[in-house]
Amino acid sequence: MSASTTYSTDSAILLRRSVRQDAGPFVWAVILVATCVLLLVFQKMLWLVVPMLLGLILYYLLVGFLSPLIYWGRTRESAAAIVMGSFLLVTAGLVLAAVPWVVDHLGDWQALVLRYFDGGLHWILETLRWLESSFSFLRNAGFAEKMSQRMTSGSGDVVSHVEVVLMGAAVWAPSLLLSPFLAFFFLRDGHAFNRFLSHAVPNAFFERTLALMHEIDQTLRAYFVGLIKLTVLDTVSLGLGLWLLGFPGPWVLGLICAVFAWIPYVGSILGGLLVVLVAATDFPTQPTMAYWAIALFGFVRLLDDFVYMPMTIGKSLHMHPLITVVMIFAGGAIAGISGLMLVLPVLGVVMVIGTAVGQIVTDERLMARHRFARELRRSMAARDLRGPK
Amino acid sequence: MAIKNPFKRQLTMAPRLQRLSGLSLFAGLTRGELRIIDGMLHQRDYLDGEVVFDEGEEGQALYIILEGAIEIRRQLSEEGVVLSVLKGGAFFGDMALLDAAPRSAQARAASSCSLAVFFREDFLGLMDTHARIASKISLQIARQMGARVRQSAGERSPVRQQL
Repeated sequence: MSASTTYSTDSAILLRRSVRQDAGPFVWAVILVATCVLLLVFQKMLWLVVPMLLGLILYYLLVGFLSPLIYWGRTRESAAAIVMGSFLLVTAGLVLAAVPWVVDHLGDWQALVLRYFDGGLHWILETLRWLESSFSFLRNAGFAEKMSQRMTSGSGDVVSHVEVVLMGAAVWAPSLLLSPFLAFFFLRDGHAFNRFLSHAVPNAFFERTLALMHEIDQTLRAYFVGLIKLTVLDTVSLGLGLWLLGFPGPWVLGLICAVFAWIPYVGSILGGLLVVLVAATDFPTQPTMAYWAIALFGFVRLLDDFVYMPMTIGKSLHMHPLITVVMIFAGGAIAGISGLMLVLPVLGVVMVIGTAVGQIVTDERLMARHRFARELRRSMAARDLRGPK
Repeated sequence: MAIKNPFKRQLTMAPRLQRLSGLSLFAGLTRGELRIIDGMLHQRDYLDGEVVFDEGEEGQALYIILEGAIEIRRQLSEEGVVLSVLKGGAFFGDMALLDAAPRSAQARAASSCSLAVFFREDFLGLMDTHARIASKISLQIARQMGARVRQSAGERSPVRQQL
């Protein structure tokens, strides 16, 4: 092998080595701290973060319709307006069609919520009584008696709880209306904004920045679109199972439980409790229905873990399971329910940015190229400037 | 008073669209297809001597020369050897569109130049969303590669060497 070939191979290997370096412990520490700080900040401005996330989900669902319109001669602006306008028209049509039905059933639903709440409490009471009759050490504690007293003294609270929920929904409604507005601007200017950002990056880091922005986009798309697909699959599976078991409103119940599942771990438990509550209320004399419902939840959970998740969200976030679990608990401790819901996508994006920035900053060759280009620009700018003779 | 869109400057690129239609890489593309491509391209300016990409670096994009000239160099010695000089309308770094293999040579501006950048992932996305456009571009890349192979075979042929 000639000396020149050896020189070429060595320099190429050196360059390649400098291109890809895994994030070290310092970068990882920065990623985890940045995620926690962001969750804390996001919790303080949920009025903006939630519509932004919903807008982002809407954007990822609609962006596929933009390209054919541009292909057929529309400008990006008009294509975005057509896509969002069509979406709003369809949504408004569905809402208008549903309004009379909702108004007719509003009273029933309020009664239904109260009934299920009552039913759930009675189920807990019956379970406690059954446990006390079976185990003598529990009988001495008198849990059932205390529970019964609390139910009697606090019976009027249920209505106030429902009022609080409805008031909360009314407060959130204007903020949620921001979502389609934001989605429209993501569709119209998102592409230009990406260019605007990449335009600000020096030439030496440009290719790496393109790859970084693409990875962020892919991470968010995979997560949010995957989440929507997972919700549909969960709704169908749970709805079908509940329908076969003979539960009332199986598809609505399935949908509510599937949305609950957006909160990692805790959501599945909440969904399971909701179905048990319905079973206890509608089938008070058939305790087996509650067990069947629990078995169904277990089965759908297994389907989620082994079939649906790999099909939808998959390993889109490329995270170690230990870090995922620890960060979910940290997210919950820092920002409550919102922290639980936001921690994974936030960690995913911060991880992509942190790793890429870490690679760029530690890449000597890229930094040298950047310094060289800056010197070139400086000397070019001062080319015709001369000091006094 | 109308509110000025800060990104508008980036959005209106009709002259570039006209320039793109004359490039060999986009030969055969209709106006609608060119508009799709134009939405994907980035524009970068380089000064004489500035490195566009290095030999051995992971390739992420194809570059089209809009203005100026680019030297393709290999680091066969300390100073490097210039393999070719490309002028306006030519494209380079095309292997990056097909795979993520390391760059086989260095690209460096031979004069102040303006380049359009076609990111690999955008091209791969095009294969899913607009297979027709992607196949037309792939054909042009294949033609360019074929020409390079023929040229390289011609340079090595004994008859040519004797001449």
